[in-house]
Amino acid sequence: MASLIAAPAGGWQAERRRAFAFGLAPALAVLLVITLLPAAALLVGSLTPLSLTDPAGTFRFDDPLVNYRHLLGDERFLGSIGTQLQLSVASVALQLGVGLGLALLLDGRSAVLRATRTVFLIPMVLPPIVVALIWKIIYTPDVSPVHRALEAAGWPVRSLIANPDTALWAIAFADTWQWFPFTLLMVLAALQTLPADPVEAASLDGANRWQLFRYIVFPHIRPVLVVCGLFRLIDSFKAFPLIYVLTDGGPGNVTEVTNYYGFIQAFNFSYWGYGSAIAMVILAGVFLLSWGIGKLGWNTHEHPDR
Amino acid sequence: MSTLTAEAPVVLSASAEVVAERRRRPGWLRRHGRALAALAVLAGVMFPFLWLVQLAFRPAAGIFDDALLFTPTLEGFASLLQGNFLRSFWNSLAVSTLSTVLSLAIGVPAAYALTRWRFRGRRQVALWILVTRMAPPIAFTIPFFLAFRWLGLQDTLVGLALVYLTFNLAIVIWLMQTFFEAVPPALEEAAYIDGCGVWQAFWRIALPLTAPGLAATAVLCFIFSWNDFFYALILTRTQAVTAPVAIVNFLQYEGWEWAKIAAAGTLVALPVVVFTVLVRGYLVRGLTAGGVKD
Repeated sequence: MASLIAAPAGGWQAERRRAFAFGLAPALAVLLVITLLPAAALLVGSLTPLSLTDPAGTFRFDDPLVNYRHLLGDERFLGSIGTQLQLSVASVALQLGVGLGLALLLDGRSAVLRATRTVFLIPMVLPPIVVALIWKIIYTPDVSPVHRALEAAGWPVRSLIANPDTALWAIAFADTWQWFPFTLLMVLAALQTLPADPVEAASLDGANRWQLFRYIVFPHIRPVLVVCGLFRLIDSFKAFPLIYVLTDGGPGNVTEVTNYYGFIQAFNFSYWGYGSAIAMVILAGVFLLSWGIGKLGWNTHEHPDR
Repeated sequence: MSTLTAEAPVVLSASAEVVAERRRRPGWLRRHGRALAALAVLAGVMFPFLWLVQLAFRPAAGIFDDALLFTPTLEGFASLLQGNFLRSFWNSLAVSTLSTVLSLAIGVPAAYALTRWRFRGRRQVALWILVTRMAPPIAFTIPFFLAFRWLGLQDTLVGLALVYLTFNLAIVIWLMQTFFEAVPPALEEAAYIDGCGVWQAFWRIALPLTAPGLAATAVLCFIFSWNDFFYALILTRTQAVTAPVAIVNFLQYEGWEWAKIAAAGTLVALPVVVFTVLVRGYLVRGLTAGGVKD
């Protein structure tokens, strides 16, 4: 192809390439400055004991691994990873379950179902701070309809976010409320591509609803569920507004996830170097999971199998 | 295909008769059961949100009343006019608009080049952009916080709009690629023959054809900037405070004024809810961008 038109159109091809490069360059330059440069700065910062009290004096590299060594012995940090895993696994599992169940319920052609599908999107697009506010109200006995109803029924309960045993679950529940629509959307999209023939054939052969789901529908949507799970897992490492507004990491530090601990170290105590090291650990986790998604072959924009 | 659909109903109706014979139950509930269940679940799921909205319209004195019926009042909203909330609302509007315009201006040509130009390293560039979307905000915040202190961009709208490019550029480039892919290259090639340059063809042919997609992308960028809390919390102090940060300030310093707080929450949620209903189809595409194999 290229050799065929090389002689007459070579100059034009080169011109075209230059034009494209000209269009791409600003975006790449900006991305370089706002993503790669900060990432490099983060890495460099994480190798120093940089802090507010003496920014100039603490920007030194005589013991580059000091922060990472501290992390290994920092009970609060190790605890935060455990909390993070608990919260992530619980809320992602709940989201997948609720999203899948609702998708099966809403997969139909009626106008009512179509309208419902739009409204179900709202929790996901609401500003996270409004979601946090909504659940702050639900969990605050003074103004919560749930607490009032329970009290009227003669069964007053302690606020879920003030109780160390339930605080993490309360956050997982709110997080599930916010994010189940993502799974719902993805599964609904997958269900619409479900071929009708095998379903008909199986139902004619006398398969019941459960068997249809187990052997035909579920295998079809399983890859989508896996990707949903990974995406939500990655995003769950960023959970911030819910924790900031609902519990502030407490009671004690039972809801202090790694992201939140990094925030406290960097911006409450102004230990920027140490905070950077924590952020590097989260970044590494995100990279590992993203790599997992890449391995599954999603989002390359080039699908030889299609 | 047509023969299939012609045959299917016959087969189905035969089996349907057998099924109907077996359980001759009321048809109405069977036909509408699914929709009824969906509506019931919807009511349950939306209840916490609706509770926030009704709280905004309650008179401040009756906020702890149990009565479900009350005379709605705009007191909560009116009290917002007196403080600094209007200013933070305006800040949110300005910073979201600025960031949306910037990311479209830089991102759309890049998306076009990535779609039409097959170069070595294209995959790596695309992957880099995807990873940008994945990276946790805290990883960017610490360097930005330190750099902004030094550059004097702390607590400015421009600084915040720049930070929002970290996620908006990725969204624009990913999403616009899918829209440009849907435009047949033959149209632009015809324009080249007529003497158009690459960017003339882009401006006159590709861009007008993707206008709805462009609008949807703009809406998404706006929503993502509008919704941000983390960056705004850390990178602003007093001058550039955005509406989400203002809500948190209410909660911390005026935590008993629930009507006012709920009114602020309702106002901040309003544009997003309106956009959701208006551009649902495209929104779905954007929210699952990078997630759906399209």
